[in-house]
Amino acid sequence: MTDQADLERGYRRLLAWYPPEFRRENGPEILAVLMAGARDGQRRPGLAESADLIRSGVWMRLRPSVPRSAGTVRAAVRLMYAGAAVSAAGLIIGLTLIVVDIQVAVRGQFLGRSLAAQKPFVITVSIVFGLAVIALWLWMARANGQGRNWARILSTVLFVVATLQLPGAFTQPVSHAGFGVTVLYYGGVEPFVAAWLVGGAAVWLLWRPASTAFFRPPGSTQARHPAELDRLRSSRARSPRRV
Amino acid sequence: MILTALANGSQHGYGIIIDVREISGGRVRLRAGTLYSALDRLRADELIGVDREEVVDGRLRRYYRLTPAGTRRLAAEAARLQAAAAAALTRLDLAGGMAT
Repeated sequence: MTDQADLERGYRRLLAWYPPEFRRENGPEILAVLMAGARDGQRRPGLAESADLIRSGVWMRLRPSVPRSAGTVRAAVRLMYAGAAVSAAGLIIGLTLIVVDIQVAVRGQFLGRSLAAQKPFVITVSIVFGLAVIALWLWMARANGQGRNWARILSTVLFVVATLQLPGAFTQPVSHAGFGVTVLYYGGVEPFVAAWLVGGAAVWLLWRPASTAFFRPPGSTQARHPAELDRLRSSRARSPRRV
Repeated sequence: MILTALANGSQHGYGIIIDVREISGGRVRLRAGTLYSALDRLRADELIGVDREEVVDGRLRRYYRLTPAGTRRLAAEAARLQAAAAAALTRLDLAGGMAT
């Protein structure tokens, strides 16, 4: 009996990877399926099983919820995931260069020397900002994929900021990456330009007339995903709002 | 595959896993995470819907069924596979004929 309780606790922990509203709706059922599929005496979730749950849960959080017909929005979302990958690659290149030789990486002589003395600081700042930029890409991808108009506007603002910073990327040793957040970054100009191009293409797609139809006007809370509607309906049925 | 499992009546999650394993001759073992991602997508595309909910041994069981659109999609998909299989068999026959 305690084996079962252990196993159930393990599964519950894995289900935490799913978005809360999906978990409220489907959690007990998935748990029932998992428990039904467990071997006798099994005490912990299997490795493949755990990986499958984590992968599905993370994807549920990130995937676009606009309808399949919103091809341009979905393409923009894919580009933003690509942008996150480019920024991640830029971060790794930058860190490698810093670790190998900051003097080589930094193209300004006096800056190079003063920064070399602060290597740990530079590494820390690079990691923090690098991760922030990746998080920004993922956040924008997710929010745009849900058809949120503020996300479309914010993406555009970020892209404009990135464009303003673009000339600096060619001339200054301290450069930027991603959608437009300033980042201490020594990976050379290529990853930044690549990220900028990806961001530009994504923003262009977001403002196509075909995309505009799927962005909700501000203030509207209409859900488009039928499963989401089901969810809303059933949660409303379960907990009648008291005013 | 999931649509096939629902073709002759509504099923609950674990029922679908068992059914898919049988249909595929044991080759396809759906995992719970994959299954519920797929069910969610099929629901979003309105190919399946929730038939009813039951509580068995204190656990929720939700039964899914095909919608008319789901039935049409499954029929179209089956016809496509049948056509592909028929083409393959015809060509194999031809090849066999030439060999003898």
